[in-house]
Amino acid sequence: MSTARKHGESHSISKEVIVQNKLGIHARPSAMFVKTASRFECDIFVAKDGEEVNGKSIMGLMMLAAGPGCKLLVRAEGVDALKAIEELESLLRRKFDED
Amino acid sequence: MQRDVVTVEKFYTANETPLDLNLVAGANGLKRIIREPTVNRPGLALAGFTRYFASKRVQVIGNAESHFLKSLPAGQRAARYKALFGHKIPCFVFSRQHRPDKLFLKLAEEANIPIFTSSLITMKFINLATLSLEMMFAPRGTELGSMVDILGVGVIIRGESGIGKSESVLALIERGYSLVADDVTKVTLVDGRDVMGTSSDLTRDHMEVRGIGIVNVAAMFGVRSIRHEKKVDLIVTLKLWDQVPDVDRLGMEDQYVRILGVDVTHVTIPVRPGRDLARLIEVAAFQAKLKASGYNPASELNQRLIAKMTGDKTL
Repeated sequence: MSTARKHGESHSISKEVIVQNKLGIHARPSAMFVKTASRFECDIFVAKDGEEVNGKSIMGLMMLAAGPGCKLLVRAEGVDALKAIEELESLLRRKFDED
Repeated sequence: MQRDVVTVEKFYTANETPLDLNLVAGANGLKRIIREPTVNRPGLALAGFTRYFASKRVQVIGNAESHFLKSLPAGQRAARYKALFGHKIPCFVFSRQHRPDKLFLKLAEEANIPIFTSSLITMKFINLATLSLEMMFAPRGTELGSMVDILGVGVIIRGESGIGKSESVLALIERGYSLVADDVTKVTLVDGRDVMGTSSDLTRDHMEVRGIGIVNVAAMFGVRSIRHEKKVDLIVTLKLWDQVPDVDRLGMEDQYVRILGVDVTHVTIPVRPGRDLARLIEVAAFQAKLKASGYNPASELNQRLIAKMTGDKTL
């Protein structure tokens, strides 16, 4: 891991996503998001209306109260940022396997 | 799950004092097995109706049976005795200090069926004996893990050896909670629904602390630091951080493990150096207590969140 960090290139990627599941990002989706995010080494942040929280914190995500239709800006910084953004975006697109 | 074989001897040893049992005949039959966890008053059998006679149970001769036998003509009485002793009966108890007559004692000796007397009145004897037999017949087993009573919540702490169970238990005792069992907890199913935990008689009040040795908890921390038995309300499994692929981050849905066929709430706490395990176990116990009272903090918070997101102002 540490060698990857040394040699790998650090990325900073942002992507806008829209909350599509019926109930918005409530407890269960927050947990899923955080679980997915925590698998990656990069730092992940989620912003809504200019308020940014740590994407690996359940309480932070829940605090955003991102209801259906909300625009979120997901930002990842680190070697695996690209992959992280891809997976998180897919999670939102899949509506957290909920609806 | 195992069930112990309950011999008359076992019943006698466990209840000699509480039931005031005196063995008056048939000592050779103490190895007889009691096959049903209750007692029977053999009134109808004594009256000659032996169909459906619950012969596998402890037979109790109370006031009525005793006087009925006395009222019979000698010949008839002898015949009834013979019929009775033709059954495979575990033992007889004469309550209210009634004494069996000579013939009864002689037949009991010949048939190797133990006869006891008790000073208790029949009703009281039946109640106590039934409770005691229920306990003896209860399904039992052992759980690998230490058990602590945390503010009324019985918690079994499981985990691989060396993960920090004993240290956690010690820290919990220091906080004023009590030890039920160290390392191995004996569990018994009570009334088919509650799992009771206790320690083995031999190791009670003691625990082993790596590097220090055997510690007598009662002597070291005082009598409030120990507890004989406690209902098992929660199982906490300590697991190394990297061995927990799926940590429950919300605690919204309860997880369970089956013990003696009963579902007991289960939480897994990931272990990492520097985590205050005792504190975490303590909070897990409080959380279990709150949830048992019908309050789930995660669901409550979630409902507020959903209400906010969907614009419902009623919550």
